[in-house]
Amino acid sequence: MFTSRLTLLWLLALPLCVFTAFFLIPLGVVFVASLTTQDGQFTLSQYGRVLLDGYHWQVIAVTFRLAILSTIICIVLGYPLAWYLVRIVKWRSWRRACVIMLILPLFTSNIVRSFGWMVLLGRTGLVNDALLGAGLIERPIRFLGTETGILIGLVYILLPFTVLTIGNALARVEPSLEHASRDLGAGPLRTFCSITFPLTMHGVMAGGIIVFSMAISAYVTPALLSGGKVTVLAMLAFQQYSTVFDFNYGGALSITLLTFTMALIGISSWMTRIGVHEKKGN
Amino acid sequence: MWNKVLMSTAAALVGLSHAAHAQTTPQSITVAYYGGNWGEAFDACVAQPFTKATGIKVVAEIGNSTTTLSKLQQQTGEAVIDVAYMDGGISEIAEAAGVLAPIDLEKLSNAAALQPQAIYKNGDHAFAVSAGYYSLGLIYNTSEVSDVPQSWEELWNESYAGAVAIPSPNNSAGVPFVIFLAGAFGDKSETMDATFAKLKALDTGLLYDTSGAASNAFQSNEVVIGAHFNVGAWDLIDAGLPIGFTVPKEGVWATDARMHIVKGTKNADAAAEFIDTALTAEAASCLAERLYLGPAVTGVTLSPDVEKKLPWGAGGSIESLHLFDWSDVNTKRPAVTDRWNREIAN
Repeated sequence: MFTSRLTLLWLLALPLCVFTAFFLIPLGVVFVASLTTQDGQFTLSQYGRVLLDGYHWQVIAVTFRLAILSTIICIVLGYPLAWYLVRIVKWRSWRRACVIMLILPLFTSNIVRSFGWMVLLGRTGLVNDALLGAGLIERPIRFLGTETGILIGLVYILLPFTVLTIGNALARVEPSLEHASRDLGAGPLRTFCSITFPLTMHGVMAGGIIVFSMAISAYVTPALLSGGKVTVLAMLAFQQYSTVFDFNYGGALSITLLTFTMALIGISSWMTRIGVHEKKGN
Repeated sequence: MWNKVLMSTAAALVGLSHAAHAQTTPQSITVAYYGGNWGEAFDACVAQPFTKATGIKVVAEIGNSTTTLSKLQQQTGEAVIDVAYMDGGISEIAEAAGVLAPIDLEKLSNAAALQPQAIYKNGDHAFAVSAGYYSLGLIYNTSEVSDVPQSWEELWNESYAGAVAIPSPNNSAGVPFVIFLAGAFGDKSETMDATFAKLKALDTGLLYDTSGAASNAFQSNEVVIGAHFNVGAWDLIDAGLPIGFTVPKEGVWATDARMHIVKGTKNADAAAEFIDTALTAEAASCLAERLYLGPAVTGVTLSPDVEKKLPWGAGGSIESLHLFDWSDVNTKRPAVTDRWNREIAN
């Protein structure tokens, strides 16, 4: 027992050190900065400055709107894609090719992919050229510098995460449960809603949480696709650190973003748990 | 026997003097400068001639001005970087942060050639010398803008609505550009209300953070007119794109890359010698040819083609640049940035 505990401690030591050095300490520094003045005195005024100002609430609303919409769209698009990969594709090599195609963009930097979208969504980009050519629009639609443009970029970058987690959950669903439901007279839709979807809920939740947390903290994609005309909280915090050099106010913005994100993720997992319990209770 | 003793004593003395020499003349110095074509130019125009003349190698520490400043603040007491290149604005912040050593101009043989504007003093000591100037001029797409724009007012021309690019406060030129426009349009108020109202009415396509983003937008025709650095603009023109760059009648705002000796450096003499090499006419003309950086020293002769690409444009000089007092800009920075966020980036 003693030896195994010691081994466990040794095994944990390295990740624990890395976690402390590269996550806890920097986060602690940001947290302390957010609670102090430039002279090092304790103050809550930075939070007052952030939370008592309508402008910041407007930025928080834009940030959360983009993150929530990205999550919903990624799940709505990711579920059928995962279904196609797991349930429909019979040919193994094709499935493998599809998974590679899905994962491959993740090997490219966010900056490159966002620049790609800038070329596609621009005033004279491929999308506008195609729409103009087809006679669907008279003048180019403005995508860059709008929330729509940022949303397109975020969904493209984050979609693989939902497909992978939902696909994994779908593959684990016992086919006999669905067969039993059909045998008992339920149609395909009822079977999906009452059996398949609830059984894949943990995959949907996991994918949703990954997408949401990445979208809410995204900096590169919003910064490039906003053209400086839409502001999200991560951009505002970065600006304070990189150009205004107000680390205290920047720290308060960062901690506010973190707190709101954790709260929302907490609420959503709590609601899912309650939902599952109620289902079980029924 | 005596011969042997003498020989070994002599050998020991030679060894000692070598050791002493090694202490004063380092094998290498670390210089912080920018990446990309700027870094390549600093390496070719300054670092390599310096190594050739002194035998001291130059280790490049690549990063932009703000990153370099952060590094200097982290290494106080144990200086790893000996010489640091930083832009105007960040230079003043570094001096205020106490990470710079005074530069003894009398020790530099080429300091006499420096333009008076190119020496930055805090009280009685110099903390920075200019490595060359660049400006934020008016750039336009020659296939969409037929006549050469004469004034900054052209940005508000209805025909270019939605296709204008200007720097945001996240770019080092953003805040000074707002202050420059206020001066150009005769807005003397402290709050610059009229200038902000005018900027709010400007239908922009891009408020850029990085110079690269601006170049990219002009290249892809996303924007057709705006403010851009002379260095970036001429790169596009040299690449054969239909782009023009001009100095409008109100002038242009300009700043410079500056050299600093880091406080606590163990290689102060070599650091000073490095700066002295950078102040030669050869180094300045090399940087002018490669980056169109306006020389901060006199006695530099350039071809007419390079002359017209300098920050002051054809026929201009350092006097035609609007060089700002950065302490003033830095004081206004938080307020201007905040107001920009609320009124323009929304």
